[in-house]
Amino acid sequence: MRKGKQSFLAVAGAVLVALVTAACGSSSSSSGAPTASAGPTSGPGLTQPTSPSGSKVSGGTVYFTEGSDATPNYIFPMYSFAVCSTTNANQLMNMLYAPLYTYGENYRPTVDYNHSIGQQPVVSNGGKTYTIKLNSWKWSNGEPVTSRDLVFWMNLMKASPSTEWCGYAPGYFPDNVTSYSAPNPSTFVITFNKSYDPEWILYSELSQIFPMPLAWDRTSLSQPAPTTDNGHLPDAGGKASAGSVYKFLDTESKKLASWPTSPLWSVVDGPMTISGKLGGNFTSSAQLTLVPNPDYSGSPKPSIAKLVELPYTSEAAIYNTVRSGGPSAVTIADIPSQYAPQLNALAAEGYDVNKAASYSFNYFPLNLNSGASTSPGGEPVRYVFRQTYFRQAIQHLIDQAGWIHAFLYNTANPTCGPIPFAPPSPLVDTSAIPFSPCSFSPSTAKQDLTSHGWNVVPGGTTTCQNPTLCGTGIKKGEGISFNIDYQSGVVAVQDEMNDLAAQAKKLGISISLTTHPFSAVVAAGTPCMPSAASCKWTAENWGAGWIYGPSYLPTGEPLYNPGSAANAGSYVDPKMTSLITQTITGPLSQENTALATYAKYTSEQDPVIFGPTSVGTYGGYAATLVAKNLGGYAANALGFLQPQYWYFTK
Amino acid sequence: MTGYIIRRLGQAIIVTLGVTLITFILLHSLPGSFARDILGNRAPPEAIAQFNHQNGLDRSVFVQYWYFLDHLVLGDPAHSGAHLGYSYQFNRSTDSLLANDLPRDVVLGGLSLIFSLLIAIPVGIAQAVRRNGPLDYAGTGVSFLLYSMPQYAIALLLIQFLSISFHIFPAEAPQQASAIGMLTHPSGLVLPIASLTLVTYAQFSRYMRSSAIDTLAQDYMRTARAKGLPERLVLWRHLLRNSLIAVVTLVGLSIPYIITGTLIIEQVFNFPGTGLEYFQAALRPDYEVMLGITVLVGVVTVVGNLMADIGYAILDPRIRY
Repeated sequence: MRKGKQSFLAVAGAVLVALVTAACGSSSSSSGAPTASAGPTSGPGLTQPTSPSGSKVSGGTVYFTEGSDATPNYIFPMYSFAVCSTTNANQLMNMLYAPLYTYGENYRPTVDYNHSIGQQPVVSNGGKTYTIKLNSWKWSNGEPVTSRDLVFWMNLMKASPSTEWCGYAPGYFPDNVTSYSAPNPSTFVITFNKSYDPEWILYSELSQIFPMPLAWDRTSLSQPAPTTDNGHLPDAGGKASAGSVYKFLDTESKKLASWPTSPLWSVVDGPMTISGKLGGNFTSSAQLTLVPNPDYSGSPKPSIAKLVELPYTSEAAIYNTVRSGGPSAVTIADIPSQYAPQLNALAAEGYDVNKAASYSFNYFPLNLNSGASTSPGGEPVRYVFRQTYFRQAIQHLIDQAGWIHAFLYNTANPTCGPIPFAPPSPLVDTSAIPFSPCSFSPSTAKQDLTSHGWNVVPGGTTTCQNPTLCGTGIKKGEGISFNIDYQSGVVAVQDEMNDLAAQAKKLGISISLTTHPFSAVVAAGTPCMPSAASCKWTAENWGAGWIYGPSYLPTGEPLYNPGSAANAGSYVDPKMTSLITQTITGPLSQENTALATYAKYTSEQDPVIFGPTSVGTYGGYAATLVAKNLGGYAANALGFLQPQYWYFTK
Repeated sequence: MTGYIIRRLGQAIIVTLGVTLITFILLHSLPGSFARDILGNRAPPEAIAQFNHQNGLDRSVFVQYWYFLDHLVLGDPAHSGAHLGYSYQFNRSTDSLLANDLPRDVVLGGLSLIFSLLIAIPVGIAQAVRRNGPLDYAGTGVSFLLYSMPQYAIALLLIQFLSISFHIFPAEAPQQASAIGMLTHPSGLVLPIASLTLVTYAQFSRYMRSSAIDTLAQDYMRTARAKGLPERLVLWRHLLRNSLIAVVTLVGLSIPYIITGTLIIEQVFNFPGTGLEYFQAALRPDYEVMLGITVLVGVVTVVGNLMADIGYAILDPRIRY
């Protein structure tokens, strides 16, 4: 997962965000089951790039809105947790440095071989070895992109603590890589410790690799630029030597003011460059200017003259600029969710409204290890949370359709499980995933409780009357009381939590509410042991969820496996672990089924409480406005900017 | 006077240190984890621990405070000698952030302060001289209206009418990184400066009116008139100078406001400045940026007060230190 554009945290898709799209039919009835139709799946900019009338012209500057308080702060495409954000990856790195594989075919979250450096991998050695032929690409300094550039990447990643990497999950990449080599310049071979599902390898492991130019293989700028000819390649000198190279590149990457002039970062193989010699720039106020890389090997070549990413101090500033300046001031604008009601007025300034959803889902965790008590002197509430029927009951109190309509301006999609209903993915059949476990149904919630030994007292205090049925650790007479701590300053989240508390009260469940800044809520919601002092939290809602990247296959190893850092609620279920393993190690022929089975089980078990998922390119936004005279724009399902496709018309 | 200034500067150092200590302790008492905030909720405990160790966050608060003071004076060798801390969110030193923001703040806050004084002083005097007349009532009405309006409301109204409806001025401030660059695009400065000026004017004009009314009742004013001095000279030589003391106090107190008090304007007009920097640092939280700006504001507050005290002595020869 990658940090959201706005939050800079490893979460995404702020609930409040959602937007526009769901207006196209996302609302579900109380018991309705939204399907892929919950979000827009077709239309200009989605399945088809924008194609305005008028003749195509070369040149022109595209002005793009960065999110408020979300400006690039790292350029080296080997990024740690600290700099793992969509702002860095999607709005900077991937345009300069082409990854081994490009993901997102217009509005499909799938690999795009036609625009990738790597060809489809060939699997051998019983499913352990992947041989990847490289297409003929070149760096901007004239050097070819070779398999040695991939070895360079692996050497550096292996030289540093793997726990640092943004895409790291214990036991997986790069822990599970046993060897890698470059038998010839156009062939890269990588071997894993066992056989995995090739699709998972492609989408979740190979997706993290970028070729890196040998011009970066140095430990100081005073060294001559290394090449394959001069033989001075310190990354091959062992772990310590490679670690020195990484440290040097990491340090240089943090010198933001030097990006346009650095001899390192101007060596690119992507469609754009930041080189100051060619007109690129990055100002001290974080305005980023990228220009076409004249030596770009991919196709099509960029047509626009410049891409300028504009920093903004607030969402109001974005709105005001678009409203007053129109397309001459901003060509592509992500509109904050609270301005969803003004979308028509904004579009009238000369924009098309693009309602793409991000490949993400929203949720908040209950702490299944919480040390807090259900009441003063009572038993720990974790025993209640560990009961599947209880989590299901809470899930049935979430009025997603009502929330979307009343609190989110019809700009979110109902969610039930970790696999998004939109954008549509051919990798998993979402029609097989039911929504019924997440339908709003207080009567079902009540039934869940009464059938498990609870005496439900609407408006009063529901108590356990039959401990055998209530579950392990729950005593007779025990009530249900806990706190939800949620992100402050977001009206939609506040309204949602108030509604949930009111619904719970009707079933005799007492939910108290507290608020803290986003960062404090995220910091509190981490896995912990019951005895730890920091494990008193019961539920943390940071108003967001999970966006897939740099692992793009919606598997659950970072989310629900025991010990995973993102398993905030410390959910443990051997069957869940087994199903997740199936999605990773099962045969390719059963991948779709394995994913659907995992998703269905997750929606039924509610390891977390699912809520409406925002739409918008990066989540947290109501829509993307695209100037009517900009052609070739397509909403990348994974949020990447792809300016090589854009062109102006007159 | 020299001894007084030296004493005040000595006090300023002690006050600033006290402010930093209290701020440091309060910031470290906040819930949440800096490392968790920076690394995100997917980072494993090992990464959190490593981050804390690398950045000294696993040491006691007092040790951390000592390092903070050390870096404040000698600079942080790990971050290019930065004195005011380092922002992990921006991968930049606080010094660098402030070097970028402060000149812009001075342009925004300084110009609005000057404009508001240029309007408020003559209007306040005119209201006092024509007390309870139509001009006074009109001036009072305008002041009350502006004073009662939230700053963001004034800003949004100006944008709505002058930018969105009539496209006279841009809705955002000039985006040039330097203050000089901003001044080359004056049209973009009109609305943010006007928004600040209107609010500040309302405040200053009320003080000026009140102070001028008091001065008008003084014996020396009556004497000046009795000896036949023209009214213009009475107002210029006797009323203005003696009435300015209250405003000078206000101006002295407004100096730190120039740096951090323009948050709303910075947000609405896309004007990245120190106030916004501080606000966002508090939300993230970005401790070192908050501390760095706190130190700066502490110093500026003391300097502002000192300047006001010196201003008293200049305006009123009876005042001696």
